[in-house]
Amino acid sequence: MGIELKNVTKYFGRKRALEDVSFEIKDGEFVCFLGPSDAGKSVLLRVMAGLEKVNSGSVLFDGQDVTKLSVRDRNVAMVYQDFINYPNMNVYENIASPLRVAKKYSKKEIDKKVHEVAELLNIDKILRQKPEEISGGQRQRTAIARAMVKGAKYIFLDEPLANLDYKLREEFRTQLKETFSNREGAFVYATADPIDAMALSSHTGYLYEGKLLQYGDIEEVYNNPSFSMVGKYFSNPTMNLLEGSLNRNDKTIEITKELKIDVSGYIDRLSSENYILGIRPKDIGFKDGPNKVKICGELMLSEIVGSETELHIDYNGQNMIVLEPEIVHYQYGNTIELYLDENRFFIFDANDKSLVAKTGGDKNGNA
Amino acid sequence: MATLEFKNISHSYEYSFGKVKDKEKAEWVINNLNVVWEDGTANALLGPSGGGKTTMLNIISGLLRPSEGQVLIDGKDATDFSPQERKIAQVFQFPVAYDTMNVYNNLAFPLRNSGYAKNKIDSKVRKISELLNLDEYLYESAGSLNEGEKQKVSLGRGIIRDDIVAMLLDEPLTLIDPKLKNGLRRVLMRIQRELKLTMIYVTHDQHEALTFADYVSILNAGTIVQSGTATELYDNPKQPFVGFFIGSPGMNFIDCSLSQGILDCKGFTLDIKTFLEKKGVKEEGEVKLGIRPESVLISKEQTKASTPFNIQVVENFGHYRIITVEGMKKRIKAKISSSMNVSVGERVFLSFPQDKIILFKQDSRIL
Repeated sequence: MGIELKNVTKYFGRKRALEDVSFEIKDGEFVCFLGPSDAGKSVLLRVMAGLEKVNSGSVLFDGQDVTKLSVRDRNVAMVYQDFINYPNMNVYENIASPLRVAKKYSKKEIDKKVHEVAELLNIDKILRQKPEEISGGQRQRTAIARAMVKGAKYIFLDEPLANLDYKLREEFRTQLKETFSNREGAFVYATADPIDAMALSSHTGYLYEGKLLQYGDIEEVYNNPSFSMVGKYFSNPTMNLLEGSLNRNDKTIEITKELKIDVSGYIDRLSSENYILGIRPKDIGFKDGPNKVKICGELMLSEIVGSETELHIDYNGQNMIVLEPEIVHYQYGNTIELYLDENRFFIFDANDKSLVAKTGGDKNGNA
Repeated sequence: MATLEFKNISHSYEYSFGKVKDKEKAEWVINNLNVVWEDGTANALLGPSGGGKTTMLNIISGLLRPSEGQVLIDGKDATDFSPQERKIAQVFQFPVAYDTMNVYNNLAFPLRNSGYAKNKIDSKVRKISELLNLDEYLYESAGSLNEGEKQKVSLGRGIIRDDIVAMLLDEPLTLIDPKLKNGLRRVLMRIQRELKLTMIYVTHDQHEALTFADYVSILNAGTIVQSGTATELYDNPKQPFVGFFIGSPGMNFIDCSLSQGILDCKGFTLDIKTFLEKKGVKEEGEVKLGIRPESVLISKEQTKASTPFNIQVVENFGHYRIITVEGMKKRIKAKISSSMNVSVGERVFLSFPQDKIILFKQDSRIL
């Protein structure tokens, strides 16, 4: 049971929005589609909801072809960024409106459903208030309640947190995940924020210029990003990507004279000359230890994000980000020593950007 | 370059406009503020909207005369000075530049108005445009620039006169595309360091405030609840509000009563007698326990000092997880390593290390 897309392609005029997209979502999954703006995330959601027709390919719900069915006949609901539908109605009326439009529920039934869903989303105390009188987080929850009240099986959320400040996002993510764990069907969520994807979802897909570059279990995608774009995006802060070239004599990929990565175990599989080495900011630190490579860089900027510090370092003209798991202060412009964990590199082919091997896995460079 | 100071500043719009004659009955937006912004320092005013940030800013710049108190610039009373006389540059959310003029003329404009000599104007424009990384756009019209570059032009226009002593920034990055923010942030920090201007940055975003400023004042409901460096605010919040607002997720709070060194958390107790004695804390009665999610210890096995809770939500952040647990009518968040496998519904045991516990009594810190 679930949603399946088979080879879906969608054009707007001559502009291709989706290219040969296929995947399967099972009931009970929370799926985030991640990618930069204009990658095709919103279109994909609208195709699943039945708000956009496709040029080729098919959409299946529970094995039934629904490609030709309109949004009304699909048992779905959609939540957008601009959340409130009726600014002059109170919260109760906003939630009740889809039921009233359906014209098949009695007053008593409507009242019961509105209260149930409001309680679930923790907005039962503000039902009589107007949207302008409540916080951004409460408005967003009202929009979700509205989407859930009809009992739609699949709920599509298009960047619902984009307008909220960070404290509200934090609170809302927890609430959304908790709400989801108590219901049937699936949530499908489009976001440009990798934190949303990581925190919320069980499965994720990465879209890039209308193509689904990778789809799978969240841990699997995080641990084995199949392209450098996926690795870079699906990391918070973004994965560092460093250019290097293969040295067949000493069986290393050389980024600089001091930074060489041993690839002797799987040199046979490396047919190109140039590679991109990816390392996540959390795998670079200030302490020496086993399997660490030392380099020196200049501190350009330090940012405090939540309860951690991101340090932007200039290394040989390349920007490198280091993550410290606490709030620390450093002097700018100082040269600092960094230690990179040599077992934590992803090796991508410089030409087609695909993942070729990982360091620190087995001898063959597999995960 | 100047030291700015607030002496017993209070403001009520009602009272100032004469709508309410009785001081006691008027609504006061800010209450008896005493603040010193030292010469050449980078400061931030941080707080939720509606806390009085804009009122404070307008009082500093001279757009608003406070109902009570004095504004001092280098020790001299400047309360009745006009914005021009104060020589303070201001940057707003929206870039302010003449779209039809090129960047050179935009920057030269304030100097021409003040009657600077032609060669002096030229050398100033070149110096400032270099600092702002705008030198390659000097002869392009401001209207053709992106929002980030345009905001740099606004900033340049504000600070280009020799007599400018301070700059006020009112959420200058809020409307700027996330991809352009980093460049702008670096430029702002460089300007402040090189020109040694006293800078006050107003924002509701803790990330920007803590990254940008050396000293952050947290404003809530018209009063400054705490000022300090990022580390001080994170490690030693003086009020629950600061503990919640700084750090992500914010601090956990539990209502307890303290008697003879035993903290009764209504459901479980903590013996902190020796610790209280060591710290010389004698208070007793109703208190609020505060502990950061990163300090809560989680174990799968029960020990003498641990308490059982059920996992409600698990959020994955790549290298760590945030779990929300419930028990004894309390909801607590804890940060755990991603190597610890946990699932929703599972029972875990929490403990609170004594040296990480903070106690508040009637909203002020006692431990």
